Amino acid sequence: MECKTSNPAAKRFMRRNLITMLLYVLSLVLAIGVFLRYHPTGVLAYLLAVLPAIPLTGLLAIFGLYLAEEKDEFQRSIGVQSMLWGIGGTLAVTNIWGFLESFVHLRHLNPSLDAVIFWIFVGISIPFLLRRYR
Amino acid sequence: MNCSTNNPAKRRYMWRLAITMALYIAFLVLAIVIFVHYRPTGPLAWLLAVLPALAIILQIAAFGMYLSEEKDEFMRNLQVQALLWGIGATLSVTVTWGFLENFVHLRHMDLYLVYPLYCVLSGLALGIQHMRYK
Repeated sequence: MECKTSNPAAKRFMRRNLITMLLYVLSLVLAIGVFLRYHPTGVLAYLLAVLPAIPLTGLLAIFGLYLAEEKDEFQRSIGVQSMLWGIGGTLAVTNIWGFLESFVHLRHLNPSLDAVIFWIFVGISIPFLLRRYR
Repeated sequence: MNCSTNNPAKRRYMWRLAITMALYIAFLVLAIVIFVHYRPTGPLAWLLAVLPALAIILQIAAFGMYLSEEKDEFMRNLQVQALLWGIGATLSVTVTWGFLENFVHLRHMDLYLVYPLYCVLSGLALGIQHMRYK
């Protein structure tokens, strides 16, 4: 999937991705700002804390939409396979880190970073998958 | 996926799953016993801590092998869709939990729980997929 593409599904994905990322930055800045200034508690604190997680979850839904809308079987297959490698990589890292946390008291890895790890593995796997079919 | 099956790919997967589960239990018990009795430090402690995670990684690889060996396109698609729904749901939970940890100091999520969470959620997704295509 290139940045400049004539593929309508990929174009929609890029646009939705951009909007989601903007929403993520805005919600994160809002949550940090409100927490620093007003120290909210109770339901409001929970709501604000969950706010930045919504666009990150939305990003997964957007990728799912792209896969459903993509007409090119090959591109869809690459997308699905990259996600499968992403799942494997993320579960491998979280498992190793989790056991290291428990046994040798390694620094706690915040679970929100799982999504970052997932997308890194997805991104790394795509060129390898494309090379296989060259 | 039934335990008794004529599908050779599934049968091989069941065998590999049983072996990796046995390895997981053996490695976990070994690590716990050595940590409780001998309190190892340094590289040995790290090695022992990583052992149970290696068994889980083998389990993930076994499922990947099953997917590549499965001849039935329909079954493979069903499994892949369940895996994708599973990762979407798992990352939604971990990302939300992560932000709650950061902002409202929710209890730390043990990262080795991400894999069982993923198995439960993709298992549920597989059940729903089966119901859809019945």
